[in-house]
Amino acid sequence: MAIKTAAYSVKQKIKDWLVKPMHIAPLTTLRIAFGVMMFISTLRFVMRGWVSAFYIKPQFHFTFYGFGWVKPLGETGTYALFVLMATAAICIAIGLFYRISAILFFLAFTYVELLDKTTYLNHYYLVSIIAFLLILVPAGSYFSVDAWRKPNNKVTYVPAWCINIFKLQLVLVYFFAGVSKLTYDWLIAAMPLKIWLPASSHLWLIGDLLTKAWVAYAFSWFGMLFDLLIGFFLLSKRWCKPAYLLVVVFHLFTGWFFKIGMFPYIMIAITLVFFPAKAHLRVFGWVGLSTSEGARRRVYKVSPSVSSILAGILVLHFAFQLILPFRFMLYPGKLNWTEEGYRFSWRVMLMEKGGTAFFHVNDPATGRSTEIINSQYLTPFQETQMATQPDMILQYAHFLADVYQKKGIRNPVVTAESYVTLNGSGSRLYVDTAVNLAAENETLFGQNKWIRPFKDNN
Amino acid sequence: MKKLLITALSLTAGIVLTISCSKSDSGNQPGKSDSFDRKGLLTNVSNNIIIPAYASFQTSVNALNDAITVFNSAPDAAKLTAAQNALVAAYKQWQSASQYEIGPAAQVNFRVNVNTFPADTKQINDNITSGTYNPDQLANLAAKGLPAIDYLLFGTGASNAAILLQYTTDAQATKRKTYLAALIAETKKLTDGVVTGWNGDYKNTFINADGTDAGSSLGQLVNQLVYDYEIIKNYEIGIPAGVQSMGTTFPEKVQGYYDKASLQLTLFHLQAVKNLYMGKDGLGLDDYLIKVNAKYTDGKPLNDVITAQFATAETKLKALSDPLADNIRTNPTAVKAAYTELQKLTVFLKTDMTSSLGILITFGDNDGD
Repeated sequence: MAIKTAAYSVKQKIKDWLVKPMHIAPLTTLRIAFGVMMFISTLRFVMRGWVSAFYIKPQFHFTFYGFGWVKPLGETGTYALFVLMATAAICIAIGLFYRISAILFFLAFTYVELLDKTTYLNHYYLVSIIAFLLILVPAGSYFSVDAWRKPNNKVTYVPAWCINIFKLQLVLVYFFAGVSKLTYDWLIAAMPLKIWLPASSHLWLIGDLLTKAWVAYAFSWFGMLFDLLIGFFLLSKRWCKPAYLLVVVFHLFTGWFFKIGMFPYIMIAITLVFFPAKAHLRVFGWVGLSTSEGARRRVYKVSPSVSSILAGILVLHFAFQLILPFRFMLYPGKLNWTEEGYRFSWRVMLMEKGGTAFFHVNDPATGRSTEIINSQYLTPFQETQMATQPDMILQYAHFLADVYQKKGIRNPVVTAESYVTLNGSGSRLYVDTAVNLAAENETLFGQNKWIRPFKDNN
Repeated sequence: MKKLLITALSLTAGIVLTISCSKSDSGNQPGKSDSFDRKGLLTNVSNNIIIPAYASFQTSVNALNDAITVFNSAPDAAKLTAAQNALVAAYKQWQSASQYEIGPAAQVNFRVNVNTFPADTKQINDNITSGTYNPDQLANLAAKGLPAIDYLLFGTGASNAAILLQYTTDAQATKRKTYLAALIAETKKLTDGVVTGWNGDYKNTFINADGTDAGSSLGQLVNQLVYDYEIIKNYEIGIPAGVQSMGTTFPEKVQGYYDKASLQLTLFHLQAVKNLYMGKDGLGLDDYLIKVNAKYTDGKPLNDVITAQFATAETKLKALSDPLADNIRTNPTAVKAAYTELQKLTVFLKTDMTSSLGILITFGDNDGD
């Protein structure tokens, strides 16, 4: 009997978590916060000249596997894409043509991110995901231009999943970021913080403190615990407020120390979704929105067919989210060294990695060879990123093979001599210099056997 | 709300307290601060290395300008020799001035305007014949600055007597003198501008940007050190020696091809890079590496490894002789040996040093936590 009740209550809990009508307010805040942040982000990106530096100037782009068809749109096209992105972000924020804006923003942003691995950042990946999830929910149906234009479409309550998917996504992000810190380097060697913190020793008030070893340890351990646990504290009703405060303090501090751009502010903004509806409504009340209409519930409804499509998409999405961070287990060797299974796994701040790569092209007909001046083909940013990431080394080698094929050399042999240092290890050979990379294939999940193993003190 | 406020206040108080306590701890032991004095490094480098390097270059450019003016007014063999000597002297001084493409120098693209080599002799001669010269034209980068003056003073004839004829009896003599005068005037103007910039506000700007991001002075300085060093490796040695052209050598692409002082110039250049690294006698990158206890792969102090590699590269270069172009023709193996050692140093400076100091050398955001 007792077991049956417990089973029932778990079932009920899951059902509540998915379909119980919840006030839309947290979703509304998320929509506004996300839209505003994305607008500022896009503007900042353009004003720093990065559109031109990252997407117009380079003559070669490191596209993602299977996305070779994603090509830069030229100067006018690329800027137009950013204008579209900024406009869509504003529309998301004010809730104007919400769905179409969310779709356009997601497509434009993701297209840009797929152009070149060089600029890959986990928080861009997160932005793409949040934008994608926002397409699936009616976040623009309350406190929005759309709701004001067409009051009949206004919604005050949504099924709980509409809000919970964002919480789940954020909990996963923090948790996996925490798991990735459970390593010897991070916890026992306090690396890379032991290198990075002293680099900020010019900072006001705390600069001197940052050069002390115990501070690097304290930050490493605190960072690990924060990432592992903060998601769960945010979920609990009791701890949500102090946890959010910690989120603010933590992200502001890291934003102050490290050059991580908009990320801290984006996180501070979107974790607001964890607060209960009444907290949001109180704030809406301050800005003059009448929130007394709660009496007349207008619950968002989806037809059963749409609902099963949505369920399919979400199950698939979260299954991917759970599996991707563990794919590194398929590969031998030290993950931070080989970077096989590194991206899309919320591994952030784990490495101080630097490299220099020399490429040689050999003409098998004459036996003569030539060294490549990388700056002839790559921007400094691309070159630095490429030197330490095997898939980019391979892509560049293939590009060079094409260039020399066109110059009239048949089947050019391309080899790479890359020296890489990881978390202060000192530089060492990264890939096998004898392997003809032009003959090695790029694969989705295959192991790159030509990466030399990382050995301590080799 | 009240609870929230109290939590916020106590948290802030806690942080401030921790900080101020540790502050007073270090305050009790003056000079025992754990942090490296980056501002001290920047002060030393600007006062004792950059500004003197620019001053010496300015003096040598003025002397070259004077020598060319005297030569142009009534060309003769003695004045030609004097102008040639002044060019070599200025070219040597340039080697110490080329690294600092930041602030005032970056604004005017000092490096490419003064020293884009090899000189494009066809472009130079076209400019002379047409009598028009637009310094802002991209095609003219290889037709101006020290390499072009090098060609005009040393390369326009097989002997000094033949060269002299180009400035006296040759049909284009007057136009050639005008062009020569225009080139040195441009170099002088650029140099004066950079010197004025450093003597003005820029020095303080430089010293006060004491962070480690890509825009900080140290970030820019390390970036430029590596970039300039790669000019030695690639353009002064590698490309002429055929390293980047399937083994086909290009002896005529060396720096200072016509004055035949190429190797000397390279040795001065390498010394200048080393000076910046060592901070001459004051605080330099070497001290910084020692301070952060940077290690090489084999566990040796990184600074020892870098210092030793500077010495090895220098030894290999000194095994060659001027004219370097002839060495490339007759003894390419020795030139390639020098190249190999220069390449090793690239890795130490570009990868090991930068990474040990946590210096960002490219713009763009990093992954956040």
